[in-house]
Amino acid sequence: MKAPPRYDAIVIGGGVNGLTCAAMLGKAGVRTVLVEQRDDVGGCAAESEIAPGFRVPTLAHATGPVRRDVVEHLQLYLHGLTFLDRAIDVSSLSPDGRALPLWHDPRRTADGLAAWSQRDAQAWPAFHQSLARLGGLIGSLFQSAPPSIDAPNARDLFALMHTLSAFRGLPKADQWRLLRWGPMAVADLVSESVENELLRATLAADGIFGAMLGPWSAGSGLQLLLSAANRSLAWPGGQVVAGGPVALARALRGAAERHGVEIRTGAAVARIEVKNDRAAGVTLATGAHIEGRAVVSGVDPKRTFLALCEADHLPPEFSWRIANYRSRGTLAKVNFALSAWPSFTGATREMLSGRVRLAPDLDYLERAFDHAKYGRYSTHPWIEFTVPSIDNPALAPEGAHVLSAYAQFAPFQLRDTNWDAERDRLGDIVTTTLEQYAPGFSASIVARQVLTPLDLERGWGLSGGQIFHGELALDQFFTMRPVLGFGSHRTPIRDLFLCSSGSHPGTGLTGGSGANAAAVIARELA
Amino acid sequence: MNKTVYDAIVIGGGHNGLTCAAYLARAGRKVLVLERRHVLGGAAVTEEVFPGFKFSVCSYVVSLLRPEIIRELDLPRHGMELLPLDGTMTPMPNGDYLWRVNDHDKTRREIARHSRLDAEAYDEYGKAMVEMGRFAKPIMGMLPPDPTSLDPRGLLELLGMGKRFRDMRFHDKVNQVQLLTMSAVDFLDQWFETDVLKATMSASGIIGTFLGVRSPGTAYVLLHHYMGEIDGAFRSWGLSRGGTGAVSNAIAAAAIEFGAEIRTEATVAQILSKNGRATGVALANGDEIHAKVVVSSVDPNLTFLKFMNERDLPGEFVEGVKRYKYRGSSGKVNLALDALPNFTCLPGAGPHLRGAISISPSVDYMERAYDDAKYGRFSSRPYMDMVIPSLTDPSVAPPGKHVMSCFVQYAPYHLKDGVWDDRQREAFGDAVIDTIAEYAPNIKDIILHRQVLTPLDIERDFGLTEGNIFQGELTLEQLFFLRPVPGYAQYATPIDRLYMCGSATHPGGGIMGAPGRNAATRILKEVSR
Repeated sequence: MKAPPRYDAIVIGGGVNGLTCAAMLGKAGVRTVLVEQRDDVGGCAAESEIAPGFRVPTLAHATGPVRRDVVEHLQLYLHGLTFLDRAIDVSSLSPDGRALPLWHDPRRTADGLAAWSQRDAQAWPAFHQSLARLGGLIGSLFQSAPPSIDAPNARDLFALMHTLSAFRGLPKADQWRLLRWGPMAVADLVSESVENELLRATLAADGIFGAMLGPWSAGSGLQLLLSAANRSLAWPGGQVVAGGPVALARALRGAAERHGVEIRTGAAVARIEVKNDRAAGVTLATGAHIEGRAVVSGVDPKRTFLALCEADHLPPEFSWRIANYRSRGTLAKVNFALSAWPSFTGATREMLSGRVRLAPDLDYLERAFDHAKYGRYSTHPWIEFTVPSIDNPALAPEGAHVLSAYAQFAPFQLRDTNWDAERDRLGDIVTTTLEQYAPGFSASIVARQVLTPLDLERGWGLSGGQIFHGELALDQFFTMRPVLGFGSHRTPIRDLFLCSSGSHPGTGLTGGSGANAAAVIARELA
Repeated sequence: MNKTVYDAIVIGGGHNGLTCAAYLARAGRKVLVLERRHVLGGAAVTEEVFPGFKFSVCSYVVSLLRPEIIRELDLPRHGMELLPLDGTMTPMPNGDYLWRVNDHDKTRREIARHSRLDAEAYDEYGKAMVEMGRFAKPIMGMLPPDPTSLDPRGLLELLGMGKRFRDMRFHDKVNQVQLLTMSAVDFLDQWFETDVLKATMSASGIIGTFLGVRSPGTAYVLLHHYMGEIDGAFRSWGLSRGGTGAVSNAIAAAAIEFGAEIRTEATVAQILSKNGRATGVALANGDEIHAKVVVSSVDPNLTFLKFMNERDLPGEFVEGVKRYKYRGSSGKVNLALDALPNFTCLPGAGPHLRGAISISPSVDYMERAYDDAKYGRFSSRPYMDMVIPSLTDPSVAPPGKHVMSCFVQYAPYHLKDGVWDDRQREAFGDAVIDTIAEYAPNIKDIILHRQVLTPLDIERDFGLTEGNIFQGELTLEQLFFLRPVPGYAQYATPIDRLYMCGSATHPGGGIMGAPGRNAATRILKEVSR
């Protein structure tokens, strides 16, 4: 007789969700090994040196935020995870040199808004509260795998009843808002509530972040609601991880190891092995085999099913749906090493230590998107940046700084050219845009790193360079993520599970998908 | 002052108002229809704009008209005759064309000329859409349940829909969700690779909305069009003999036969109400007419903000009415022609001119047309859907001459620079003609007359706010139980005995008649004689 496999679960990919899932499985007593192709775990939560003495958050410069239940369940504070309680959620700079901070305290935001628009100052607290309430309701759907539609079990029905009663518990106006806002264009959504264009653009940016949508595209309202849902589930003592996303990755790794998870880096998976219609292990690029009772993929659905699985193990209809799963990346990342303080007009140090947006109005965002429709990158991208070296001076030499910027739109598919040819020009455009808000910025650049969607795919395995492992659209969400009927982290192949952001809820570096998947898998392996 | 008391007054003699009136009269109610214009039909109207040339001025094709309405009102006996409109021809800038006809196999062969894979996919796509249509059809006749109410009947209906959804095959379930949420182009991308095919099919997804073909929510209307049927035959589009006005006239004739009274040139100025209950209307000439029930077939903007005092309505409702989006995005150009247009891609007269001619050569073309509108300009190269009804129905033009109807999108109601004045109207008309000339160069030489309708004209002439042909955008957040105002999707209003029956109610626009019929059903149930 053959010896039973050494592992109960093999987790592919050591990103935030893979790590969370592995750590939770380990804690549940599942013998788990995690394989990561890169030399370090963390995935999009990474840090690297772009010039001697200058370190940057390579990709993400903020977490999702990370979910409170993940922090508590894995006791991540034992592994060095601490949170900063920031007074400002996000700020926007106006081309006229003024700054608009959105404070964590809505009354303070309202006070500040009075200088921009009396009407908005009055409307803000109610809008903020509605959004938070709706976020809370949607967030309640985030905390477990979505129900099965075909054969809901008692747990599913209970969860559904719970959500239904929570829905009924909302004020009537909010019930209707929820139904209307999801499918709406985010530009309409925010314009209904506020009138100042800078404020509108700041809010609308949440609806299109990372997406192939402009603010006037219907359905962009959903992503705004999802980010509100993320916030409702965050650690109450602060949503910003001290030390940046990489600190989250380190803490997750610590927790995983404490719970007995074996972590192998530099181990790229070439194939998921299927025997008797069940996932039985993985084969590495080196040819080595790892056997396990279950395989859990922390990489995106397209890569999981189209690159790592052999097609004949999947129903053709499912493969077709996955091939059509939309994951068109539109976000680029540009990191700067600066010899001096970046003096953004109107911005305080406190603002710059958090997230700052550059998008003066809704039309600006829409025009930036127009380029992407025709396979070009924006000549005037909208940008979200932060200066992480303010809170974490160790990232740069004395007196110097690093600046991390997301720039959108930079579509994965370029027409008539390619990213290897265009990378530097994109970097120049981002530099120029920043220079407009911070005179002298270009002169202070010591080094610059430009990561296009192509680089995200090449370096981090994100199909199409899509940062969420697939677009967050109504038809790719909840029970439909990644495909209707497979929202519960299970796949057509038995014992093959998804724990990546390409499974529910899949809304960024929250650990949510990994945690939800771990609960399903632990039950199934028990 | 008029002493007669009616059971119901219907404001607006468009096809929905007439349909509602006909059903009410059929049930023995004493009904009065009030139409502001001298002709009936609203946007489904035929007018002799130029001597000898009769145009379906606004709405120009018929497909969605509910078969039960045709039967129950016996419309053919009242003079309605629907003529088949065979297919759609899309000329391309490279001199080629895509010509889809009602004959599935022929279309398949035509598509194969562009792509073999697409020809195969076309079968699958057609089957899938018919399935979807089957699921969606009963929803058309439904009173949209209120998901926020605790009324068990509404919940049961929602559960019933859920169950029907659950019972569908996997393939159909996914399609259904995608249709409701995806963009037309993304949806079609899953099946097809030929750009012109996707462009021309996705065009139906944007009609009457201020969205581009790549915007989520536009796939839904693809289905709307597959539900088009003429008297039970799925997927056929037709022309009405004598123009779309003949449909309205037939419904009016049915209503009159059932005993309804119809007055034209009777402009409503005010809806009268007392203690939260509608009592009648006041006309512009000062006459007051009383009725047990008032049914408005005009849009919510006119009904509630013009004909009523907003102080008499709940604040939240007024907010909803004000928030309801119209955003007219289309215009209409009607041409009287001396001869037939000669298309470079398929020269001469032929069956290709008897169907629709679509100017939608590529997805990018469609998007560029939209980009113009987003920033407040009419499209310099618009999307167009054109028909030449005189080829099928010679009665609408003098012998040897023709009428051509061009539906044009995008023409935003709000222009960034200036307003829709004569100069802008002519410039818009010129852009349309220039566009056609790129495919049919003789067009400029054969135009005898041209009528250009901008969204502002459509608003003024037909009482459609912001020129929206569907009385409000057909976008997801304004459909089903959200149309027109959340909580008031069941034809009733906050005012007792005041109902809505126009395209601004479920299931929306097009010459469908369903809103009129659904509203009548509710009124008959609720208000005893």
